[in-house]
Amino acid sequence: MLTQLVNLLENKENGLSLSEISRVMKAQPSAVLCMLDLLVQKGKLLEFGPDGKCCTSCGVQSECNLLAVRGKRYIVRRINS
Amino acid sequence: MTTTITTRNFFRLDYGGKLERQITKLITAFEKLQFDTGRYPQRWLAIKLLEADADILARVQNMPNGTQIIALAGQGAEHLKSMLGDDVDLLTADRRYGYINGIVRQSLHRPLIDRITFTDRVDDIVTHKWLGLPVFFTVMYIVFRLVIDVSAPFLDWTDAVINGSFANWMRFFLDLVSAPAWTRSLVIDGIIAGVGGILVFVPGLLILYFFLALLEDSGYMSRAAFVMDRFMRVVGLHGKSFIPMILGFGCAVPAVYATRTIASRRDRVLTALLVPLMSCSARLPVYVVFGLAFFGSRAGTVIWTLYALGIVVAMLAGMVFTRTILKPDVSSAFVLELPPYRRPAFKSVLIHMWENTREFVRKAGTTILLVSLMMWLLLNLPWGVTRQRDSYFGQFSAAISPVFAPLGFGNWETGGALVTGFMAKEIVVSTMSQIYLGDEAAEPIATTTLGEDLLGIGQGLKEATLSSGKILLSILPGVELVNEATEQEDTVLSLALRERFTSLSAAALLVFVLLYVPCVATLGAIKHEFGTSWAVTSAIYQTAVAWIVSFIIYQGGLLLGLG
Repeated sequence: MLTQLVNLLENKENGLSLSEISRVMKAQPSAVLCMLDLLVQKGKLLEFGPDGKCCTSCGVQSECNLLAVRGKRYIVRRINS
Repeated sequence: MTTTITTRNFFRLDYGGKLERQITKLITAFEKLQFDTGRYPQRWLAIKLLEADADILARVQNMPNGTQIIALAGQGAEHLKSMLGDDVDLLTADRRYGYINGIVRQSLHRPLIDRITFTDRVDDIVTHKWLGLPVFFTVMYIVFRLVIDVSAPFLDWTDAVINGSFANWMRFFLDLVSAPAWTRSLVIDGIIAGVGGILVFVPGLLILYFFLALLEDSGYMSRAAFVMDRFMRVVGLHGKSFIPMILGFGCAVPAVYATRTIASRRDRVLTALLVPLMSCSARLPVYVVFGLAFFGSRAGTVIWTLYALGIVVAMLAGMVFTRTILKPDVSSAFVLELPPYRRPAFKSVLIHMWENTREFVRKAGTTILLVSLMMWLLLNLPWGVTRQRDSYFGQFSAAISPVFAPLGFGNWETGGALVTGFMAKEIVVSTMSQIYLGDEAAEPIATTTLGEDLLGIGQGLKEATLSSGKILLSILPGVELVNEATEQEDTVLSLALRERFTSLSAAALLVFVLLYVPCVATLGAIKHEFGTSWAVTSAIYQTAVAWIVSFIIYQGGLLLGLG
């Protein structure tokens, strides 16, 4: 599943949101979110805010309205990034 | 006592050939080195060591032969990474998720549903980074156009009922009981002209509250707060401030008390200073009277512009305060729940309309009635005065009117109306009604029977409903049911105002009414919450801002040849 998820995001230049990923993978967003969190934690993926800014650098992302409404986007971390 | 747990009868997930070989190798090492795994099952511990679980590594480190076991596990994990290209914890997680997914697919069949909900689709537009604000202002524009255009026929009808039929019945009744002239004047020129002049706007308010209730119940209002939150942060305001500001469109008094939800005192004070700049519903009668008298079919646009101007001035004032007397302290986050969009419940909308309008009517029966009586008294003192200009009220108003001369409305009537507007903004209209329509009683009245009056009222209501329906349908593209030239009727007050104002001076007055000193109830709320000094600050700065902006509009307009 994790490999499938990374492969899916490999081809997406602007990444995908949680709802888009769960729709493609035909899985519940809550299930996909755990996988995404693990991959982000392991440095495989990067999470970005809807405005294109990196959420990991923000201290109040748990209280961000923009994020709550539009959700994060996930992209594969390239070796040189 | 040592408890040994065997894993033989437990479920075992197969992690695949290479991983399983490393697990077996590590279990063999446990036995070879006589490593006692204690309460941990051997297989489970081997997997955790290969995954380099920090907690387990720390525990094993302190166990006999633990260091050797950790070294072996590290070698195994490195070997797996070099062969499979990933950390062991990712490999095991991948296997587990794959297994879970397999079970779910075999055992659970969900209907294929589109996970992009209607709310998601709408929110993509209404909360968009760039589209959000234009959408908000467009929605507000449409609402105010609907309020003004759709309510106009009902306003004319209510005006005809109160100042026509009802006033005639009162005159008839007072004649019947041989009431003295002063009583007649008090009832007709004081109470009906004052209170009636305000009650005329009840249909407009009902329609305004109807649309605001639709926006609130549908879930759009919280999106508006979200959109404005980002906008307000740009000008140094707290995101939570927009909630009281939205309330301020209804009435500034509850809005000032709503600032209690804001954590920081500095933010509370700043919000309370800006809330009165949001155009409350009490100002609407003034806008409607002047809008319809001077701007005709563009009245809706003018009123929308006033609401937008209030927001813009509030933003600018916020920026000034933030950089001067109210410098920002530590910012806290603004958490807002965005409910899914719902179809508004008709009953809930009706309750919302009724509760807000009831408050307006209650104020008409208390504060406005009291002020109207005082106004009537002051307009008739010293007793026997024939010209209103010579009354106490006229003399006082004339004394302060030069202050307003550079703004284009230096006549005593307007000066007096603005002073009484301090009690409640809608009193500006009731005072003007009393002053300008005060002599109406002397005019000959067409004699009609009660039956004819009631028939006329019913007929008028039917015509007003039809006209409003036509106007509402005409908003739809391609539908032309209303002749623009014939849709507005001039009221007596409109005609009187046109003799004393130009379009430019009327615009300057509307801006002044929008921005000048908050009503006494609002100042009382600010005093109650933050003390006298902030209430005085609010009164002074708003009046100064109102004077300056009106001055710029009027004098700028004259320079551009618009006067």
